[in-house]
Amino acid sequence: MADPRPLPPASPSSGIARRVLIMLGRLLVGSVFVYAAYSKLHLNGQWHVRDYWYLFAMSINSYGVLPEWGVLWLARALPWVELALGLLLISGMGLRYISVVASLLLAGFFAVMLRAHFKGLEIDCGCFGPGEKLGARTLIRDGALLGVSLALTVAAFLVPQSKRSL
Amino acid sequence: MFRPYWMKGLFGVLGLAALAVAVPGRIAAAPAQAKVAAVELTAFKAMGSKSAPITIEVFSDFQCPACKVNYEQTLRPVIDNYVSSGKVYLVQRDFPLPMHSHSREAARWANAAAEIGKFGKVEAALYAKQETWGSTGNIEAVVTTILTPAEMRKVRQLVQSGQLDAAIDRDVALGQSRRVNQTPSLFVSKGGETVALPAGGVTYGILKQYLDYLLKK
Repeated sequence: MADPRPLPPASPSSGIARRVLIMLGRLLVGSVFVYAAYSKLHLNGQWHVRDYWYLFAMSINSYGVLPEWGVLWLARALPWVELALGLLLISGMGLRYISVVASLLLAGFFAVMLRAHFKGLEIDCGCFGPGEKLGARTLIRDGALLGVSLALTVAAFLVPQSKRSL
Repeated sequence: MFRPYWMKGLFGVLGLAALAVAVPGRIAAAPAQAKVAAVELTAFKAMGSKSAPITIEVFSDFQCPACKVNYEQTLRPVIDNYVSSGKVYLVQRDFPLPMHSHSREAARWANAAAEIGKFGKVEAALYAKQETWGSTGNIEAVVTTILTPAEMRKVRQLVQSGQLDAAIDRDVALGQSRRVNQTPSLFVSKGGETVALPAGGVTYGILKQYLDYLLKK
């Protein structure tokens, strides 16, 4: 995708600061995605690569937004999608596209969490494995993460690609 | 237009907020996922064979609408397809919530019925007529319809004796030790490992797949 109009002249120090902030943003969001995948695949102190999705499917199902086949499909796929997104964000590859996908995914999570909260559902968040109740704390955390991801997406499109890597 | 100070501020505030909330959140959530120590199960209110490979414990409140749905749409098929075939040992425990004014009384009637071997029938009737006795508080009228007069006399005596609260309190204490704070809460045990199932999302379709997987494992 073509870069937008050229940025106004900036001091060398502010350019470095921008790139450092982008790097910190993608490391933060990427690490959270990797951790989210890990927490779904590693339960009760051991890896559950072959059976992680049963409990996660119950967490997704508690939101009541998908039919059972969709719940099962998402439960199987999501941890691997999160792992891939996290690693790509950390590496910085295709940052514009990956950050858009990450922001859309986080916005989707946040929307269903808000819906469940305002419907008064007493359910698990399911964000970082089972056992964590959905509530104000989880909403603030995921909202903040969505904010960072959106800022990262905006920054990725504003800063020329040649100057973005650090 | 790109504003470095705006960007700094947003990344800083939101990043710190995300870290501050994420880290303690995970630490607080960890114990709920920890292995729950196996407890000695009694035959009280239990269904199936004690030697079944899988044990399911359910903490329920007779007046809770979600427990009614869980009983009728999830536990009934589990009883029919897994408990009756000796694959699952189902233990039902009381967890009357303070917000439900008649739930402890209902638990007393169910426990009294268990003492004479009629728990299953009374449980089914209590859930089937939940809205009726939930609004009137007349639980006895529901139980009377399914027990003989002789059974009813015995059950009524047990309820009036006040001896059943100890059993209910024991279940509540066990639930609290496992961080149960809502109903229904389900725990699945196999081979010494107990897993708490996520609240609110347990349907028979998904639970069936999980049980089949555990039985093959």
